[in-house]
Amino acid sequence: MKRDVLERILWSLSVDRFSKSKFKEDPEKYLSRFPLAPEDVEMILSFDVKKMQEMGVNPMLTMGYWIEMSPDRRMSSYNKKLGSEAQYSASIKG
Amino acid sequence: MAEIVGGFLVPHDPVMFVAPDAPPAEQAKAVWDAYETCAKRLAELDASTVIIIGNDHYMLFGTTCLPQYCIATGHTEGPLDQLPGLKKEEIPNNEALARFISNTGKASGFDWAEARSFTTDHSFSIPYQLIVKRASEIKGQTIKAIPIYIASAVDPFITKERCIELGRHLNSAITQFPDAEKVAVIGSGGISHWVGTKESGRVNEAFDRQVIEYCCSMQVDALAALTDDMVLENGGNGAMEIRNFICAMTAIDAKRGHLIEYQPVPQWVTGLGFIELSVE
Repeated sequence: MKRDVLERILWSLSVDRFSKSKFKEDPEKYLSRFPLAPEDVEMILSFDVKKMQEMGVNPMLTMGYWIEMSPDRRMSSYNKKLGSEAQYSASIKG
Repeated sequence: MAEIVGGFLVPHDPVMFVAPDAPPAEQAKAVWDAYETCAKRLAELDASTVIIIGNDHYMLFGTTCLPQYCIATGHTEGPLDQLPGLKKEEIPNNEALARFISNTGKASGFDWAEARSFTTDHSFSIPYQLIVKRASEIKGQTIKAIPIYIASAVDPFITKERCIELGRHLNSAITQFPDAEKVAVIGSGGISHWVGTKESGRVNEAFDRQVIEYCCSMQVDALAALTDDMVLENGGNGAMEIRNFICAMTAIDAKRGHLIEYQPVPQWVTGLGFIELSVE
């Protein structure tokens, strides 16, 4: 999957209320409108932010997506997903 | 005619608002006090308008359009990303000066993206509310504020060379503005911080001190010569915001810089530097 498409999805799910609502209702249906392979869908649904960053996705988007949409919105969990033991985390949202 | 009276380089760290008690109290106080010092100095400069040069954090601009440089020429409010103690509000834009800058640019090779009705993020609103709005309270007179956003955090990044050119264009446009405005410029950002990456929480004081030295001694070319790879390695993705410093320093045509405060605060994930830029 192209990074551009992934960034579009993550941006929408970070800032757009309608997109967030539709994703929460039925994530697979929401993602079906984008040109995604099954492994791409799995990456998004599993909040694999490490893999996303390895694909070149801007870390501000992976963080925004995590904070807005993940079941566990804690930054400590985000850091673990990244493979980091960081004690402190930037949060661009209150 | 308008004149440029000075400016500041300051951080825009949202973690200060989210976790105000995380660092040692003395260190936190030094940072909050630095904003107050900037506000008092801005009031003393008697500025009537402040231009704040900041950057989006992939909130305001999406994948469908990522401007290299954008100016808000109309109704302005913000921030979009409200924080405890940083609530959304109307911002008194100087629309006449903003439009003049944009129109002047069209005649001199700078095609500004214009935001006719704009919502800021924290990169504008933190310095606006803590410095400009506070200086207005001190003066008892409204100081207007113009948001300028340059591509410092989301690629494709504006080149540092273009930041110098943009700053020079701003200086020329401001000083051609026919009204008697006293204009200050704030470069909002930095210094070292890693946002959303596994290095988050790292602060590189050596890198920060190097940037501060360049800013205080007006070595704009040396600052611009730092490669993106060097900045990313030593200052993090957040340090790409030195572009905002470069643009502001050049816009002011500052003659010297004075370090007001520097605090490396890992609890706030940032090396926080405050510099006043003087025109004399």
